[in-house]
Amino acid sequence: MFFHMVLERNMQLHPRFFGRSLRENLVSKLMKDVEGTISGRHGFVLAVTGIESIGKGLIRDGTPFVTFPVKYRCVVFRPFEGEVLEAVVTTVMQHGFFAEAGPLQLFVSNHEMQDGMEYQAGDIPNYTSSDASVRIQKDCEVLLKITTVSVVATEIFCLGSIKGKYLGLLNDRA
Amino acid sequence: MSGEEEENAVELKIGDEFLKAKCLMNCEVSLIFEHKYEHLQQVSEDPMNQVSQVFEKSLQYVKRFSRYKNPDVVQQVREILSRHQLTEFELCVLCNLCPKTAEEAVAMVPSLKTKGRAHSDEVIEKMLNDLSLVKRFE
Repeated sequence: MFFHMVLERNMQLHPRFFGRSLRENLVSKLMKDVEGTISGRHGFVLAVTGIESIGKGLIRDGTPFVTFPVKYRCVVFRPFEGEVLEAVVTTVMQHGFFAEAGPLQLFVSNHEMQDGMEYQAGDIPNYTSSDASVRIQKDCEVLLKITTVSVVATEIFCLGSIKGKYLGLLNDRA
Repeated sequence: MSGEEEENAVELKIGDEFLKAKCLMNCEVSLIFEHKYEHLQQVSEDPMNQVSQVFEKSLQYVKRFSRYKNPDVVQQVREILSRHQLTEFELCVLCNLCPKTAEEAVAMVPSLKTKGRAHSDEVIEKMLNDLSLVKRFE
């Protein structure tokens, strides 16, 4: 789920960046440092949308650097266990398929699919239902439920399930 | 990711920080990101280089899965759903997924029936009808 939050960060700036464009330098450094990063607590930090406040700068003892506490608004993407969301299938394998929901990678194992879904190998590997009415292959849109969220170092990875009445392949929407 | 308490969206256990934060629907994120991308296009010749890979992926995702394109409609949808007692999280999941029936809505957002509010099926059906009306007039 996407959230708009206010986060805080202590930014260090070298005096060469002071002067009239101190604020601009601070903001652009913030964006470079923070956009595209992943944290266990907040998920994927996607874009900084604005600055709430910049506190007083304090000189760090023994260095010429100055630390500014900056509060900024940003868009984050944070998956939750139990969340239902749409994803795009990227790779289909014998054990299940990989899907992507924005910056997030998910895996749905073949144990977490409706009964009767069978793996079909070939040029376009896919999962087909026993009555051939449902075929899940690369680039298909699926509705899945997140069953596990795992954070390892700075990577977030989720396991999902399409075993539910309204989950699974999404047909063309009106 | 589990802090002191097990996180679980089914019971809306997503931590105070996220319960209080503003949730964004895919269409709202799409508007914000496109705005940012346009701003970058004005500032540099190669905006794609300026943005991180996760931003690009997210932009593609929200564009693909946006239900509403018009910003006024997005605003209206939010207003309609805020009349019912929903948390930001529930509101956004409903708007993103647009379930057709109350049963489908509860399957996607189980917390509708818990958390002491117990939305009845009629109330949920009304919510979904209001949503689909807006979509028709977009």
